[in-house]
Amino acid sequence: MASIDLEKMRQKIKCTQWALVDFDWESPGADKITAEQWPKLKTFMADLMWIEHVGARGFAALAKSAPTDNLREIYTYFHAEEQRHANAEMALMKRWGMLDENESPVPSANLRLVIEWLERYADDTPFNLLATLIPMLEVTLDGALCKYLLETVEDPLCHEVFAKINDDESRHLGVGFSVMEMQGKGPHYIAFIEMLGRLLDPRMMAGALVYFPLLSSMRDNLIAMGMQEEKLYKTMDKFKKIGGRTAQGRRNPWFQLLHYHGTIMVDRSNHFYHMPVDMLVALSNKIPQRLLPSQPGWVAELTHKPTA
Amino acid sequence: MNDPTINNRINQTLDVIIIGAGFSGLGMAIQLQQANINNIAILERDKEVGGCWRDNQYPGAACDIPSNLYSFSFAPNPNWSRAYSSSHEILNYIKSLVSDFALQRYIRFNTNVNDITFDDNTGLWIIKTDTKKIGSSETLKARSVVIASGPLANCSFPNIPGLEEYKGHKIHSARWDHEVDFSDKKVALVGTGASAVQIIPELVQTAKHLTVFQRTPAWVLPRLDAETPPWISTLFRKIPGTQKLTRQALFALHEVGALGLIWNSPLTSIMQRVALKHLQHQVKDSWMQRQLTPNFRIGCKRVLMSSEYYPALQQPNCKLITWPIAKMSEKGIRCVEGIEHQFDCIVFATGFDIGTQTAPFSVKGVGGRDLGEDWKRGAQAYKSINVSGYPNLFLTFGPNSGPGHNSALVYVESQLHYAVQGIQRILNEGLARLDVRERAQEKYNIQIQKRLTKTNWNSGCKSWYLTKDGFNATMFPGFATQYSAQMRQFEDKDYLRVSV
Ligand SMILES: Cc1cc2nc3c(=O)[nH]c(=O)nc-3n(C[C@H](O)[C@H](O)[C@H](O)COP(=O)(O)OP(=O)(O)OC[C@H]3O[C@@H](n4cnc5c(N)ncnc54)[C@H](O)[C@@H]3O)c2cc1C
Repeated sequence: MASIDLEKMRQKIKCTQWALVDFDWESPGADKITAEQWPKLKTFMADLMWIEHVGARGFAALAKSAPTDNLREIYTYFHAEEQRHANAEMALMKRWGMLDENESPVPSANLRLVIEWLERYADDTPFNLLATLIPMLEVTLDGALCKYLLETVEDPLCHEVFAKINDDESRHLGVGFSVMEMQGKGPHYIAFIEMLGRLLDPRMMAGALVYFPLLSSMRDNLIAMGMQEEKLYKTMDKFKKIGGRTAQGRRNPWFQLLHYHGTIMVDRSNHFYHMPVDMLVALSNKIPQRLLPSQPGWVAELTHKPTA
Repeated sequence: MNDPTINNRINQTLDVIIIGAGFSGLGMAIQLQQANINNIAILERDKEVGGCWRDNQYPGAACDIPSNLYSFSFAPNPNWSRAYSSSHEILNYIKSLVSDFALQRYIRFNTNVNDITFDDNTGLWIIKTDTKKIGSSETLKARSVVIASGPLANCSFPNIPGLEEYKGHKIHSARWDHEVDFSDKKVALVGTGASAVQIIPELVQTAKHLTVFQRTPAWVLPRLDAETPPWISTLFRKIPGTQKLTRQALFALHEVGALGLIWNSPLTSIMQRVALKHLQHQVKDSWMQRQLTPNFRIGCKRVLMSSEYYPALQQPNCKLITWPIAKMSEKGIRCVEGIEHQFDCIVFATGFDIGTQTAPFSVKGVGGRDLGEDWKRGAQAYKSINVSGYPNLFLTFGPNSGPGHNSALVYVESQLHYAVQGIQRILNEGLARLDVRERAQEKYNIQIQKRLTKTNWNSGCKSWYLTKDGFNATMFPGFATQYSAQMRQFEDKDYLRVSV
């Protein structure tokens, strides 16, 4: 499959904008959430919304380091669109009585650490790493979460909103995979050595220490909520299939690395990986609230209110 | 109001018609008058003089080059009340030029020029106007024309979908509505350029709430403004040489700035570091700092001067929004983050239509050639002032005459001086045509464009200095001193002459 025309894509993105006011948040259907579903769904939505928000920050970093004006503008839009998804998901939570007027979902300790890491280092993260990592998270976590949500929630408004979100996501993935392929250009060994150099950066190592447990705990949360493990494998396969659809795509060493990591992350039987990561999860959950870093300014921009 | 004498003379063939009564047009009239050329008229579409300083009366409007330099050297004003005077004070200064040099008799107000055509047979320019007052059009004739219609005279609204859908009050910074009481209003301000950084600190004090929409942050340097102590004015009045010296010192200081702003030099890095420190000192929140940090080299776009802008953005009743704007709606602005921001009133500080690829109005030269057509791929002129094929026509602020670091009026003065030399030749030698040679114009522009490639303006950012294709038709790639030097001598060899 040939890469998409990014110039046309930018125009398309501009023409397909939507806003929270396009929906009637008071429309009937909110009561379709069962009492049994409610507490799990609340945790689930909070996780989902935070992933979107963290993704938004990733796009903001990409908008800074993108190699062309066109990509820079596309990522600027994607940054805002991910924020829109987080806002819309908060609006759904509000509709379902999961949030008070001025309340935001509380991020877990793991999330707080990832947020702090992003605040400090996101803008210094190599473009190639972020440009591969974000599509992977979008296909696997985001994709799996949304699919699961639509299978279990009957509120029609939820379906309407996610139809829009999914349209956006498909454009994000279109661009994401195209950019991943672009990174496969040039000699393989140089890209590989460059990647190794980047991975030895202590900031990246610190990133792995907060990112691995987050991913793991999200995976476990999903399974605990009743999602079949099978589905996670499938989404991982999807990432592998699309990311590796061309020889150039397969030559991107970041793709190879992240795919490899994703595969062992979903497979709980790999104790060699999961044991230390589980320990990190347990450890981060023990950090007292007061020791967790305060939230950065970009988090304060979240809102469930369609108008301001 | 029009002086009655102008109406008596207007139907005769004039020696010079000047279009526009801003700094340039009035300065031109003064210089012609001093060269004893009095059969002239100034056509002004508005009912007052002042140009951009008449139009830009928004709160906080002021110059960002010190007044002692941003004024005519031949009309010093010892009474500037501040280092950087307000728009109001500058307008009064311009008005004082009219009275001090008795220019009223030349000016025809409410007269909008919409077409000028060179008559090949008579060597006269035929000027078509529409007169607001009478509501009719008229045709005037002159041997020479000076287009002084201003580089930033026509305000521009941004290209936002649904601009017309918004039902609240829209105000452009260059057409301020002084009737509006902002104290009970939620106000939006779109744009963070030179006008915006002046308006925001004022508006945040009067508006109930202010939301600022930023697309691209600019580099902002502190502005060291201060009231002029009375003894300085007294000194300037008593010993005018001291004011001249001050002006020269200011000029030299700004010339040094060119080293950092125009070309990429160690001074550029120092200036950028100063601007960054200024931001970090005034804004503590790291996300806001990031939002306000430009991603281009200082000098690539216009550098802004303000010490009040960053503090104003952090006032409790002010919010900075950097999400891209998706569209305007009936009640406000919808951004891509999905939220509709609703306002009672929206201020557009979105700048001006810059004629880098168009003529200011229909201009037809020898054989009916059209300036707009000739400039389609980017405006070009000889030394910014003459265009081949358009004889006896002089431009102020023509292509590649823009300064990025010094007073625009220094450049204008050189242009006026050059134009007077040309006009004197036309009148004294009885010429039907004084037309710059095409080859000379071409050679000049090759040079200019070559020099521009080495400047910060052409270093990769998008700005109003460049056309969509990245052609720079606005800026002069050099010191003001170099520009003045090239304008000092009228290059006779580069011109074709045809006698009447
Ligand atoms: C807000 C603002 C701040 C600025 N600050 C500075 C500064 O600090 N330092 C600096 O060096 N420069 C500054 N400038 C640049 C400024 O444009 C020049 O310094 C200078 O004032 C331009 O004068 P002008 O007479 O050429 O044009 P203008 O002042 O724009 O005057 C042009 C006149 O022509 C008239 N006109 C236009 N078209 C027609 C027509 N078709 N028929 C008849 N009349 C017409 C207009 O009504 C206007 O009166 C600033 C500009 C603006 C807008």
